[in-house]
Amino acid sequence: MSPLMLYQLVALMLLAIGLFGLIWRRTLIGMLICVELLLNGAGLSLVAAAQLTPASAVLGQLGTLLIMGLAAAEATLVLAIVIVVVRRFQTSESEAVSELKG
Amino acid sequence: MELLARIAFAFYLLIIAVGAVMAVGAKNLVRALVGLILTLFGVAGMYFLMAAPLVALMQLLIYVGAVAVLIFIAIMLVRTGPEGEEAKRKSPRQFLYAFLGLAAPAIVLGGTLIKNPLDSGLVPAEVSVQLLGKGLLGPYTLAFELISVVLLVAMAGAVLIAFERRESR
Repeated sequence: MSPLMLYQLVALMLLAIGLFGLIWRRTLIGMLICVELLLNGAGLSLVAAAQLTPASAVLGQLGTLLIMGLAAAEATLVLAIVIVVVRRFQTSESEAVSELKG
Repeated sequence: MELLARIAFAFYLLIIAVGAVMAVGAKNLVRALVGLILTLFGVAGMYFLMAAPLVALMQLLIYVGAVAVLIFIAIMLVRTGPEGEEAKRKSPRQFLYAFLGLAAPAIVLGGTLIKNPLDSGLVPAEVSVQLLGKGLLGPYTLAFELISVVLLVAMAGAVLIAFERRESR
């Protein structure tokens, strides 16, 4: 097995475990943790593809840096949403906020 | 040297796997967060192994330094104890759905990956930080500026969402 394949398999493992947790978790914060796992898998895959093949290494590394920026922005927004949900429903369970008003 | 690289890879893989399982399976959210931090360290180690030290350090700075603290503050604000919602029993049906969510990408992508083996160089490309900086200020300036705007908008939006209006309640 080539090194690139090993790294891609690790990234795939992170993707699979993250998806599992996203469905398995009940609370919004647990789901946020799993989304961070998913994003880490994406970054790992991107850097591996850029570093171990003739593709542009600069593009891959900068892409991963941008993913990290997006993850930070996403975590900030989710934190605000969780605060609002907890204030309004007194719980952060995702089932509690699954019904529309009307 | 190759043996050392393999040992380091196996070590980081172990850290990532243990951390990820902890992040998904732990009943206590703080423990899940510790698992996530473990995974983040393992991924940073893999970045080091791939000769991308800047990305690895940014991983430690941004994820472990900022995002983990942010999630911890969220846990603190929600105040879920060890007997919180996560600790309730989950139905086997939910496990089935979650397992399907795990199996679909694992089978499709893993099967493709194993069927079409990728060959790669053994030695990763080395890029200096100067080159990365030139890339940010040269061909990828637009993305760089856009990500800063996105961050600014996200933070302003977070303040706006979470701001409590007194008169409306």
